[in-house]
Amino acid sequence: MAEPDPRRRRRAQGALETQVLSALHTAGKPVTAGWVQEYLGADLAYTTVMTVLARLLAKSAVTRRREGRSFVWLPAADEAGLAALKMHRVLDGEQDRRAVLASFITTLPEGDEQVLRELLDQAGDED
Amino acid sequence: MGIFVLLPLVLPLTAWPIARLAAQRLHPRTATVLLTGVSSVMAVCSTVCLALLMVVGTAQLPGNPLPDGWSDPEVRESVPRHEIAGKAAIPALIAVVASCAHAVLRHHRVRRRAHAALTGLPPTEVAVLPDAQPYAYALPGGPRDRVVVSTAMLTGLGSRERRALFAHERAHLTARHHRHLLLVQLAACANPFLRPLRTAVAYTAERWADEEAARAVGSRRTVARAIGKAALGPRGTPAPTLAGLAATGPLPRRVAALLGPAPAARAWPPVFTTVGLALWTATAGALLSAMFSADSAVTLLLLLHAATRL
Repeated sequence: MAEPDPRRRRRAQGALETQVLSALHTAGKPVTAGWVQEYLGADLAYTTVMTVLARLLAKSAVTRRREGRSFVWLPAADEAGLAALKMHRVLDGEQDRRAVLASFITTLPEGDEQVLRELLDQAGDED
Repeated sequence: MGIFVLLPLVLPLTAWPIARLAAQRLHPRTATVLLTGVSSVMAVCSTVCLALLMVVGTAQLPGNPLPDGWSDPEVRESVPRHEIAGKAAIPALIAVVASCAHAVLRHHRVRRRAHAALTGLPPTEVAVLPDAQPYAYALPGGPRDRVVVSTAMLTGLGSRERRALFAHERAHLTARHHRHLLLVQLAACANPFLRPLRTAVAYTAERWADEEAARAVGSRRTVARAIGKAALGPRGTPAPTLAGLAATGPLPRRVAALLGPAPAARAWPPVFTTVGLALWTATAGALLSAMFSADSAVTLLLLLHAATRL
C-alpha cells in the first residue's frame, strides 16, 4: 500500500479528534473508549480511538479517571474549546488562508522583531 | 489587431511603480480601491486577449470543432507569430481558468469551514476561542459577520488595545476587504505580472483597517502598540502565528506608519510627483489594455465574420 500524504494524514487525525470530542460531548457523562468506538461506528479500530484520546489528553482537551479496570473519559473543553479545536484545523489546513482571512498580525521574521521592539519603545505607554 | 493583442498581456508592468509607491504615498483607502480597480481591469483585458489568441491557435489544430473558415490565412495573419502565440495561449488560458476556479473554491471552503467551526457558540459578533496560539481575524458572511479572536491574542493587550483590535477587524468587515483581497488574488492568477499588486493590496487593506481603528479609539499610538504587542506576544517572545506573505516586514511598516503623521485623505496626488506619475502610468496602462483588448476582439469578430461568410 502506498504511504499516504503526511499532510492529508494530519488533517484526517484532526478530523478524528473533533469527532471523538463531539462524541464525548454528546454522551453527557463519562464514557469508556469502547463506547466512543461504538458510537462513531464505521471502521475505527479500538487502538485508533485510544490514540486519539491520548492525543486529546495531551492537549488537555479531555480528562479521564479510573473506573474499575478501565478509564472513563470526559471532555475538558466546553463548546468554545471544541470550536477552538475545529478552528485550529481550518487554519492549519490552508496553506494560504491569508488570502481569505485578513488577520491582525502575520508571522514576524527574525529581523523585524528588533525593529518592532524599537518602534514600540518609541510608542511608549503615554498617549 | 497585430501586436496589439499581445500588449494587454504585458501592460500590467505599467502598474508596478504605483504598486510600490501607493503603500507609502497614498491614503490606504485610495490605494486599496485604486490598485484593486487597476488589477481587475488589467486581468480581464489580459484574459480576453488570451482567449482571442486561443481561438486563432485552436483553429489551426487538426480535428478542431471550429468552422473551417476560422483557420483562414487572413485570420491567422492577424496575429503575429500565430503558430507559436496561438498554441501557447491554449495551455495558458487553461491554467488561468483552473487557478481562478481553485482560488474561488478555496476562498469559499475556508469561510464555510470557519463558520462551521463556530456553530454551537452563542451568535455574538465576537467569538473568543480558548487557544494558546494568538490569532485574530475577520470572518465575513455566514449567518453573520464575525470577529474571531483567541484568548492568547487577548492576553497581554490592555483594554484600549483590545478595543483597537476589535475596531480593526470590524473595519475589515464593514469595508468588505475580503472582496478586494479575492479580486486581486484572481487578477494575480490571471496574469502573474499582477502579483505585486496583490501583495500591495494585502498590505494597504491592513493599513486601511489600522487607520479606521485609530479613528475609532481616537489614538494612532494605541493601535500601533496593539499591533506591536500582539506580534511580539505577551512576554515579548515573537508569536509564530498564521504564516503570512513573503513580503518583508509588513508589521514594522504598519507600526511605523501609525507612529508617523496621519495620511492625507486627498484623493489624487499632483501629476508631477513620483507617485503622481506612477499613478497616471498605471491608469494609462489600464486604459490602453481596455482599448487594445476591445479593439482586438472587434477585429477578430469582423475577420471571422468575413471568413465564414455568416
